[in-house]
Parts: sequence; structure tokens; C-alpha cells
Amino acid sequence: MKSPKEEFLDILSNYQGILYKVSLVYFKNKPDREDNLQEIIYQLWKSFPSLKNHNSIGSWIYAVSINTSISRIKKVSRIEYRETIPELPDKSSVIDEMLKNESLQLLLKAIYNLDELDKSIMLLYLEEKRYDEIAEIIGISKSNVGVRINRAKEILKQNLKK
Amino acid sequence: MENTELQKIWKTIDSEFYPKSKDELSLLLTSKTKQTINKFLVIMSISILVCVGLLIYLAITSLNRQNDLIYLINNATLGIVTIISLASGLLSWYKLQNKKYNQPLKNWLEERINILSKWLTGRLSKLYLFLIPFLYVLIVLSIHVYFENKSFIDVLNTEESIIGLIIGTPIGLFVSYYGARKIRKYQISNLEFLKDLHNRLCNMC
Repeated sequence: MKSPKEEFLDILSNYQGILYKVSLVYFKNKPDREDNLQEIIYQLWKSFPSLKNHNSIGSWIYAVSINTSISRIKKVSRIEYRETIPELPDKSSVIDEMLKNESLQLLLKAIYNLDELDKSIMLLYLEEKRYDEIAEIIGISKSNVGVRINRAKEILKQNLKK
Repeated sequence: MENTELQKIWKTIDSEFYPKSKDELSLLLTSKTKQTINKFLVIMSISILVCVGLLIYLAITSLNRQNDLIYLINNATLGIVTIISLASGLLSWYKLQNKKYNQPLKNWLEERINILSKWLTGRLSKLYLFLIPFLYVLIVLSIHVYFENKSFIDVLNTEESIIGLIIGTPIGLFVSYYGARKIRKYQISNLEFLKDLHNRLCNMC
């Protein structure tokens, strides 16, 4: 039988793309993204016992990732107490490498100009989440999700035209 | 640009990621957990060390001045306020740190706003305005009276002591208020940021 940590790492390993993408949308700098990624992993671990109450693992991971990222936005400009983070093979630099993809680079630049809420809603939309899933993660009604997505898409398109 | 086109562009991210191995993820989790525990231990240790140091000082000086009732009341008040402040400070900090992030964004914002509002705008939020000068004067008097080798009343009747207190207090208070205000300003801006997000979410509802 697997230990809770092993179970958690299995889930994390399968869903880690969500963590990268949420961090990518909220933080422009790689060190901030790495710090945020680590914080999300820690917050997911803390709330892992409550996972049984969630309908979908994906929604749980999105909710924790978005909430953690928003709580860190204000902190990143401040000097924080920190210990040395262990050096891992620098595979995560792909985030910067992939910015060579010009269309993606433009899309990301447009997303960076959205406000914090629109960023999360747009991310979930781009991830092709259903309206009811987005409503569950954000905590608003399904009909409002539609309104908000349309508004965010318009802003995003305007940003892309600039 | 079509909507599906945006989603197609976004999907290209998936093929560009090199996922971390389970060992790497485990290492990240372990180091973050240690970091958080250490942070808590550092804050707790410093707070406890300062408070225990103060309590030991208060106990020793009180034992040496058992006949000076006003001095004993002064030190006892300081001791009680110190213990209450330490306990409530550590408890509030622990509560905030222990909040789970696994809920819808709107609920999570409400919970965090409630906690911060209680601290920053609640019934006891202005207590620090009174506590800082109160504690400052009590500590200064406790030290001054003890090292003057006079009784509490005698020290207060000495002109030099009063002059020293009148000159020293504003300087000490300025430094204390400056520090407290800076921390509070940051916390309030944090609260405003969360409230703004919450309002914008509610405007959608």
C-alpha cells in the first residue's frame, strides 16, 4: 500500500503542468515562478487530506494554485526570509526557451496585461475547462463565468492587436 | 484571432514542458516544508527569547525590590501584558498560516479578508496605539528605578528622572511607532488588494 506522500507525489507528477501554467500566467520572472511553484506544492500537500471532498483532482489543483499565486503577488516585491533552495537540474528553463514560440510569446504578453481575476479565468478558458468547473474553482455562478470570459477575451484580443 | 486559435496556441505549452521527476518534486516539497518550519521556529524563538528574557529580568528585579509595592505592580503589569501579547501574537500568526487554500477563490478571499480585517480594523486594532507608549514607559521606569537604587516614588520625584523621561520618551515612541506603522501600512495594502479582488469578483455575481 502506498504512503500518503507517495500518493500525493503520483498525483503531483501527473498534474504538474497545471502548476507551471498558473505560475507562468502570474509571474514574469523565472525565480518568482520557481518560488511560487514550490509554494503551490507545499500548499497542495497541506490540503491533500481534504482532496476526498473534491469532485475532481484538477479543480482542486487549479484552486490551490490560483489562490497561492494571488496571495504571493504582493509578496514578491518584498524581501522574504528564505533558505537556499536545492539546486535541481535546470529543466524548468524551458519556460524561457518556449518563449521563442512567437505566437505564445504574444499571447502571454497579452495575458500579463489582464488583471489577476481575468488572468485566472482566461487561463481556465484556455485550458478548455467547462463553465461549471470554472465556476467551482473561482466561486462565481456559471452564467457569470460566460460573461466574464467574453469580457476577458475581448480585452485579450485588444491586447493582441496592440 | 479565433477563440479556438488562442486555445491552440496555448496548448503548445504542453509539448514544451519537461516534467520534473517524482524525486525532484519530493525534494521541492521537503525543502519547502523545512523552510516553512524553520521560518516559524525563527519567529517563535526570537519572540519567546525576547519575552522570556524580559520576564526573567522582571522576576529578578521584583525579587530584589519586594518592599516597593508600586515597582512590583509596574513589573507585574508588564509581565502580564508581555505573556498575553506573546500568546495572542503567536496564535494569530499560526491561524493565518494554517488556513487551507483548497477552496473556491471567492471563499478563500472572504476568509483571508475576515482574518486580516479583524487584525487591522477590528475592535482591538488600535490597541497598539495605546500599548506602545504604555509598555515603553513601564519598561523605561522598571529599568531606571532599578538601577537608580531608589524607590519608585523617589525616582518620580527626582527632577533629572522626569526630564530624562520627557526627553527620552518621544524619541523611543517615534522609533516604535515608525516600525509599527510601516508593518501596518504593508498589511493594510495587502488587505485592500484582497478586498479589491473580492469586490471585482462580487461585481460579476
